[in-house]
Amino acid sequence: MSAIIEIKNVSKEFRVLNRREGLKGSLKDLFSRDYKTVRAVDNISMTIQQGEIVGYLGPNGAGKSTTIKMMTGVLEPTSGEILVGGNVPYKNRTKNAQEIGVVFGQRSQLWWALPLVESFRILKDIYQIPDEKYESILKLYRSLVDIEPLLHKPVRQMSLGQRTLSDILAAFLHDPKTVFLDEPTIGLDVAMKSRIRTLIHALNKERNTTVILTTHDMGDVDALCRRIVIIDKGRMLYDNDIGHLKSFFGSYRTLKLRMDGGLKEQAKLVQKELPGFSVSADDEWISVLVDEEKAKIMDVLGKLQHSFNIRDMQLEEISTEDVIKKIYEEGVQ
Amino acid sequence: MKLKKYLTLTRAGIIEALQFRLSFVVMVIGNLLYLIVVYFLWKAIYASAGTDVVNGMTFTDTLIYLVLATALFNFMEMYTVWEIGRNIQSGKIVLDLLKPMEYRKYLFWSYSGSFVTQFFLTFLPTFVAVAVVTHGAVPMGINLLYFVISVVMAVSVNYSIDFIVGTICLYTESIWGINIMKQVVVLLLSGATIPIAFFPDTLRTVVNFLPFQSIYNAPLSLLLNGSPDTETLLTTLGTQLIWCIVMMAISKVFWKVSLRQITVNGG
Repeated sequence: MSAIIEIKNVSKEFRVLNRREGLKGSLKDLFSRDYKTVRAVDNISMTIQQGEIVGYLGPNGAGKSTTIKMMTGVLEPTSGEILVGGNVPYKNRTKNAQEIGVVFGQRSQLWWALPLVESFRILKDIYQIPDEKYESILKLYRSLVDIEPLLHKPVRQMSLGQRTLSDILAAFLHDPKTVFLDEPTIGLDVAMKSRIRTLIHALNKERNTTVILTTHDMGDVDALCRRIVIIDKGRMLYDNDIGHLKSFFGSYRTLKLRMDGGLKEQAKLVQKELPGFSVSADDEWISVLVDEEKAKIMDVLGKLQHSFNIRDMQLEEISTEDVIKKIYEEGVQ
Repeated sequence: MKLKKYLTLTRAGIIEALQFRLSFVVMVIGNLLYLIVVYFLWKAIYASAGTDVVNGMTFTDTLIYLVLATALFNFMEMYTVWEIGRNIQSGKIVLDLLKPMEYRKYLFWSYSGSFVTQFFLTFLPTFVAVAVVTHGAVPMGINLLYFVISVVMAVSVNYSIDFIVGTICLYTESIWGINIMKQVVVLLLSGATIPIAFFPDTLRTVVNFLPFQSIYNAPLSLLLNGSPDTETLLTTLGTQLIWCIVMMAISKVFWKVSLRQITVNGG
């Protein structure tokens, strides 16, 4: 294995105008030179090996996208060094672009009005993919997903899931060394999420493509990543394998319940029923944090069902936000 | 092989444009309305002038010039400024920047398909109609070749100007005002709305030193002047070529400098 991405002490600062409020403030802003510097990314270092799938996690505004934009060459770091496949991305953006693929979950790089196969043909020419290579990739795609019905469908008629799937295939088309996936499963249903995960996993295995995955969905991370990097407020909080993190905070899930009566009072009763569990209530749900290594969700639910009238329930994976909160509270490295 | 990289975008543009049949109909109707306005406006101008020839142009000359200018406008206007502005605001620009191609070229070639469709679907029919209706008032000879060469350079100058104005959007993050201003300035100073022959002397001298007249005035004057002497021909095409190169260089450098400064805001 060799390093494909090397990031050394990278920081990125943005200059933002200090906005004032109201009409008077807005008028003053027109002439204002009052800038403040925001550190979006603060002294981050990491080395990623060829073929790794790395989960890059953090709450909204943590600096994930900024880091990705620096790795792809769209943004220039304020300080520090980045090397992607031996290139300095922002200096050789065009060259770097040839060797990376990107998927932004919210937008598509495909040609909206054209059938998918036309988009593929365009990308084939833009990236100058030789015919044999193109055919072999299509063959691989056919073996992985049922691509035929998609190929001749205009992208604008596709469902979100089909579009995301197509976008991922498009990003891998020129056999890039690294693919950046920015929230690829956002807004998708469970079945589609699982298809997308299987596809990413298979492509990574077949092509030994490095995958950098940003997501808020711990399910994605569980299914795909061995290593995770967590950042918050621009700083690196965690960079290690996922097993390490799991062994630290256990495998928690949140059981959410709705029942008759005032939720606050009910929550107190639930707490009495389940000593040792963390129970909380908000306006809609009573949440019980369950460590699945210690207790089964079904047992907890069964126990509660005897004494309470449960109207509705939900199971939630522990979110990135919860993980970060826990890291802050208890420290992990 | 290298050219294929770009021509594939042209091809995609043509296919894409052909998907939206209705927009052609709407555009043709819009143009007809505009031309009717132009017809009556200039008829009134000539009537009030009291002579058949104003500034060396007859009513028919003026009308032919303006009809073809409109056709040329439809063919050349690519709304690049809108596109760049929208891409910046929506953040889609990130995806375009990550194509293995300069953004300036990527955008141009993505649009080149609409040149081809517009040329065949609006410019050519208008040109033929004008030639037929005016019974040969449009000279048909070697001037057609000069015209084609001139239009190619006009397209390039026009695109560079649009791209420069689009780049300004990186700083302002708003498009509307800038684009309207650009449109008014370009259409007026290029001779697209009023033939340059009608400009007062001082303005005409100034305009001759600006790049805009390379866009509409140059190709149209070469087309409508049946047999230009070598000197006129060479000065017109030579000036265009210089502007072509200068504007291309400016747009390239300006974009490069701006991108480094401005991506600050996250794009």
